[in-house]
Amino acid sequence: VKEFVALSTRDRIRAIRDLAMSFEEKKHIRWVLTDKQLNLYCYTCNKLHSQSLRRCGYSIRSARQTLELWQGIMKEIGGKFGTSVLSYFLFLKWLLMFNIFSFLINFGFITIPLLVYDPSPNIPPNVSFRGLEILTGAGYFNYTVMYYGGYSNETLIGLVDYNMQLAYFFTIAVYMVLCGIALIFSMASSFKENYVLADTVSNSAWQLLCSWDFSITNERAVRQRKNNLRVQLKESLSERAQRELLTLSEKLKHFGVHLGSWLLSTGLAVGCGASIYYLYAANWSLLQEAETLLVPFVVSLMNLVVPLFYSLFNKFEHYSSLGRQIYALVVRNVLLKMSILAVLCYYWMNVVAEKFSCWESMVGQALYRLVIVDFLFLMLGSFFGEFLSNVIGTRLLPRLGVPEFDVARNVLELIYAQTLAWIGIYFSPLLPAIQILKFFILFYLKKVSLTQNCQPPRRTGRAAQMQTIFIALLFFPFFVGALSIVAYTAWRLTPSEQCGPFRGLNNTFSVVGVWIDDLQEIPASQWVVWIYQNVIRSEIFYFLITLIIIVIIYIFWQVTQGRKQLIGQLRQQIVNVSVLHP
Amino acid sequence: MGNKQTTFTDEQLEAYQDCTFFTRKEVLRLHGRYRELAPHLVPLDFTNNPDIKVPLTLIVTMPELKENPFRDRIVETFSEDGHGNLSFNDFVDMFSALCETSPRELKTIYAFKIYDFNRDNFICKEDLRKTLNKLTKGELTPEEVTLVCDKAVEEADLDGDSKLSFSDFENMISKAPDFLSNFHIRI
Repeated sequence: VKEFVALSTRDRIRAIRDLAMSFEEKKHIRWVLTDKQLNLYCYTCNKLHSQSLRRCGYSIRSARQTLELWQGIMKEIGGKFGTSVLSYFLFLKWLLMFNIFSFLINFGFITIPLLVYDPSPNIPPNVSFRGLEILTGAGYFNYTVMYYGGYSNETLIGLVDYNMQLAYFFTIAVYMVLCGIALIFSMASSFKENYVLADTVSNSAWQLLCSWDFSITNERAVRQRKNNLRVQLKESLSERAQRELLTLSEKLKHFGVHLGSWLLSTGLAVGCGASIYYLYAANWSLLQEAETLLVPFVVSLMNLVVPLFYSLFNKFEHYSSLGRQIYALVVRNVLLKMSILAVLCYYWMNVVAEKFSCWESMVGQALYRLVIVDFLFLMLGSFFGEFLSNVIGTRLLPRLGVPEFDVARNVLELIYAQTLAWIGIYFSPLLPAIQILKFFILFYLKKVSLTQNCQPPRRTGRAAQMQTIFIALLFFPFFVGALSIVAYTAWRLTPSEQCGPFRGLNNTFSVVGVWIDDLQEIPASQWVVWIYQNVIRSEIFYFLITLIIIVIIYIFWQVTQGRKQLIGQLRQQIVNVSVLHP
Repeated sequence: MGNKQTTFTDEQLEAYQDCTFFTRKEVLRLHGRYRELAPHLVPLDFTNNPDIKVPLTLIVTMPELKENPFRDRIVETFSEDGHGNLSFNDFVDMFSALCETSPRELKTIYAFKIYDFNRDNFICKEDLRKTLNKLTKGELTPEEVTLVCDKAVEEADLDGDSKLSFSDFENMISKAPDFLSNFHIRI
């Protein structure tokens, strides 16, 4: 208790909450401490101030709780299917928050000023709204604020002078940076809590005994879990009995099968990419609407069908542990999606940017179509993947049984959908609104599909590690890729001449240069100019920063190595001490 | 605050918010759930701290606990008399320790207490055997049960006394990253 007195009020509250005592004892300690503070220090105003801060914090917490979406549904899903399936829905909710945030920022800072200033979009007279625009995104939508082309490059005169160019550039930049920071923080905290690097013996008896999911409340699910646990325990016991030593020829055979399936999967991924490029480049004599929809259709079809092939290859291969199997599947799917996205972006950056006059709107439309068709295929995939499997498994081929909810495949689809939205932010600022709708509907769709068609997962465990892997995947290839595409567009490509907020400039980034030149005239903001010229534009600064970061990383790495050694030594000491004093 | 409630005084609610991981609204909701278990026993007005305990047999009928194989042990661990009769403070304490925002250390301490059936501050092979029986409902043969328990103790025991002290348990938990999300009851 004495050490609690020295802490600040906030830390003290946290420390009291963390005590493993009964409620009465904690209340007593709390009373003693606040009483002591009042008697000893008599900082009444200080106490009131910290108390009101705390009360404020509590009311913020309760307010946030009322806004929480879907609490009841999450509890029901967690109770029936367990934590690993629930992690998919939590991930979906988290991505939804990203999109809501993006929509609010874009709408507030870019679209609303334009709408207030000039409420009627300048649409050419022969274009009207037909229902088909919702699917293709072209036509009527092309001239509205949906796409890049609908934004003006002027400084809007109203209550204040609002520079649209700067607003557009900085809004997108700030949003991407904030996303990146949020992702890095959550990845780091997830890594710290969940990722165990060394000896992940997933079949150890201890792991099985302590892996019981306390949040399951459904009677059938509990019975199933008990069965699974029993089966896993028996498996682990029998594995212990006969540790299979593979002969050299068997090892070679396994290796050959692995190599073959990796080659096949990579070949499939590259093949998909190439075929999309040729589809785009070829001239089809189809109806104009059908032509625009062809590529998104083929892309989504590949995303649906090729992973099934990967699962098929997976069945033929022999893996030493379940974890490796899942990782291989995930890596192959990621390769497929990255190759498709890379080809699409390459085509957009190199061919579309040269060919069309208002090319950013074209790219925005292409992305819109991809998002919509992807959503339709997700719904179809849910139908085929879960409903039909259920029907087949229960009526036609009872041997297969009721399907399980494939968390990995579904999360990868979510990540892919979110990447499309991130790439599309620059070209179509209101795309997050479509994404919000999409995720909202998807949540309810998946929930219904899950409860009607699927059974709880058979093999338990690994949920936390998979969660970390997924966040890391979201960040590293996909977010960084989207960020580089947008950065490349802003830096290298010439904005189109006729439309958009950056017309007439050499590249988007020169907006900042123009602004700094304007600022130089104002004597009060010389420091901004100085920062820009000597920090952001100078190469020596970046060189020094990189050097310092490398040195810091090296130091931390050495500290980690030292600590690992220390842990090994301490462990040995415990064993020695117990041997000496039994 | 707008909502007039007469169940608790403001000081009581503040004490609950400071000592547990729940907000005001959740504490009031918990009171509603507690009262549902025994409406004739639990009064609506808690402002004068009535000394009411709801017996174990009623607590384990809650849907969150009904199907849990460890429900008896959980309730016994958090009860003051050790027999599972919970006062409202114990009730709140129990769900607070098992909630999502509860830290790993706190959960480890309580998990150890729950798995320690004979309350000798060690998880011995007998405790493990009881745990395994609760989890598999006696469908493993006695030899298999012994094998699993021996294997578990062998893996986890660092100081070689063939039972698990709290530090052994803590060490094993640190290698099980799913523990934090698994040891969690939603209320």
